[in-house]
Amino acid sequence: MAHNPEGNRKQVHYVGDSRVRADRPKRYAPDYSEFPGKNEAFIPDFLLKEWMVAAVFLVGFMTLVMSELPPLGEKADPTNTSFLPVPDWYFLFLYQLLKYKWASGPYVVLGTVVLPLIMAAALLLAPWLDSGKERRPHKRPVATGLMILSVIAVAALTWSAEAEHEQQAESAPIRMPKATKVMAVDEQGYQLFKESACIKCHGDQLQGVNGPHLIGVGNKPGMTTDKIIEIIDHGRGGMPAGMFQGSDQEKRALAEWLMKQKQK
Amino acid sequence: MMLRAIYDWVDERLDLTPIWRDVADHEVPEHVNPAHHFSAFIYCFGGLTFFVVVIQILSGMFLALYYVPDIVNAHASVNYLQNELAMGAIVRGMHHWGASVAIVMLFLHTLRVFFTGSYKNPREFNWIVGLLIFAVMIGLGFTGYLLPWDNKAYFATKVGVEIAASVPFIGKYIAIFLQGGDIVGAVTLERFFALHVFFLPAALFMLLGVHFILIRRQGISGPL
Amino acid sequence: MSKKVSRRKFLTYMLGGTAGFLGAGMLFPMVRFAVDPVLKKGGGVGFVDVNLPVNQIKDKPIAVEFKVHRKDGWYEPAEGETLTAWVMRQNGKVVALSPVCKHLGCTVNWDSNPQFKNEFFCPCHFGRYYKDGTNVPGTPPSKPLDKYQIKEENGKLLIGPVIKA
Repeated sequence: MAHNPEGNRKQVHYVGDSRVRADRPKRYAPDYSEFPGKNEAFIPDFLLKEWMVAAVFLVGFMTLVMSELPPLGEKADPTNTSFLPVPDWYFLFLYQLLKYKWASGPYVVLGTVVLPLIMAAALLLAPWLDSGKERRPHKRPVATGLMILSVIAVAALTWSAEAEHEQQAESAPIRMPKATKVMAVDEQGYQLFKESACIKCHGDQLQGVNGPHLIGVGNKPGMTTDKIIEIIDHGRGGMPAGMFQGSDQEKRALAEWLMKQKQK
Repeated sequence: MMLRAIYDWVDERLDLTPIWRDVADHEVPEHVNPAHHFSAFIYCFGGLTFFVVVIQILSGMFLALYYVPDIVNAHASVNYLQNELAMGAIVRGMHHWGASVAIVMLFLHTLRVFFTGSYKNPREFNWIVGLLIFAVMIGLGFTGYLLPWDNKAYFATKVGVEIAASVPFIGKYIAIFLQGGDIVGAVTLERFFALHVFFLPAALFMLLGVHFILIRRQGISGPL
Repeated sequence: MSKKVSRRKFLTYMLGGTAGFLGAGMLFPMVRFAVDPVLKKGGGVGFVDVNLPVNQIKDKPIAVEFKVHRKDGWYEPAEGETLTAWVMRQNGKVVALSPVCKHLGCTVNWDSNPQFKNEFFCPCHFGRYYKDGTNVPGTPPSKPLDKYQIKEENGKLLIGPVIKA
């Protein structure tokens, strides 16, 4: 008011005591009175629904947490030359990319810098690259198509990285541990082992004769009792199927005993 | 009654009501409300991501009660808090699995924003803030992965640092900076710990604050 | 002075300048502190007797573990840090190769993959090297394995730092 003592200029209103003009046009809709339909207040109406979704989510999440123990491996040992490194799953696609000839060797920069940078830049600039007014996905096929393609590519890379890692982990020979004593010698499993054909190839001290040694077999990543039973049943590599003649219970006892061979 | 009187006394002096009324009373449109259209559940991913982030912050604070960021003791401290304390496996499990779930939810939220074209004018800036949040979360995942100091953590970090080192010209310096030396070792663990619990969360809080303020200012994008 | 700087402008500049000073004054020591490892020269590693008579080294590579003293920040274990070298003879000459894959720093193993006999194999991205450490063309690594400096003293093998390419 002090600026217009005469009142012959147009009155200017400011927001609060700032210099922001009150009649500045707004570019967005702060509420949805212009959208027809059943609007509702954020608190309590809408938030209650969100929290109900969150409650369902939490039940699922806690079920996951309680059914799967968080893994904790052996203490880090930089001298361990047989450990198969693998990054957390959301980096696997990048990791897999670096296996390909055109993204490794002399072109490794392509895989570690150029491609990730292009992806990041494309995402950052998406609002300007795809600047039309149209928002529906099927009306902007280029943007939608590229995104679907990227998602499929990332999923496929992740999947093949996982598959190759598992295959690798399976076929990698076990490093001969420093301790070589057979463990849990007084168990039924060791008796069964000695009485059956196993001993001929794997040796009485599990040291391996014609076949590979089994010392530390329980430490193998991904090795389980069921996995061992499967190998006993179907054989693997040079090992023929059905070499163990005992009952299913005995087979399980044998496999459980083998899983106890966690020599280091 | 008592509470009401206290609130009135404070409100009279600080004028709090308009602040929370703005948040409480703003109208949420039908097209994002899963109670009206089931397909609107895709609009829940953002809120769920925030929910998982809250779980991460809480469980992380509690893990820090026992965790020791030191290569001699880190593994033993994680082993102890997981196996010898009541609910240890649950608390660490929430943090461990929560990390993965947060990435999944964030990914779904990003896809929702992308496919509904919600990043378009006038919300370009919030899209960029969102991508920065994504980057910070990935950073939290990478640094947090090392902390238990088991073989998996150690070798994954070694490979991750090598990937950074393969960047031309500056890669070597990035690697030494991340490692705090020539090898992944004592200083690396300390650094990753500091990044994981101080630097990156601070960045995350700021970005989340901006993200939410912008949503409040601009509103949710309209129906398709 | 033809261009007049208004009082408001002047004060704004002062405010910006002061903010810069405050920020830089606080952050300079902190940032220098954080990047110190990048600017520091790494301490060299000397030659270590790996307790292996030279005449026991054969054509087949064997993994030799040896301890070096290296300072890792404040951490300097008394027993030293364990390193591995693949030691063998090539055309009669003793060679010690570093097991660190030149692709992304995983650890290579000799003859560990049944598909690739008599090669060094890296399990991460299937990088391969011939016995002399040369990378197999078409596999991810772009350079041969690093060699350690070696010395012979009194018929014993001494391993030194990695030869920087």
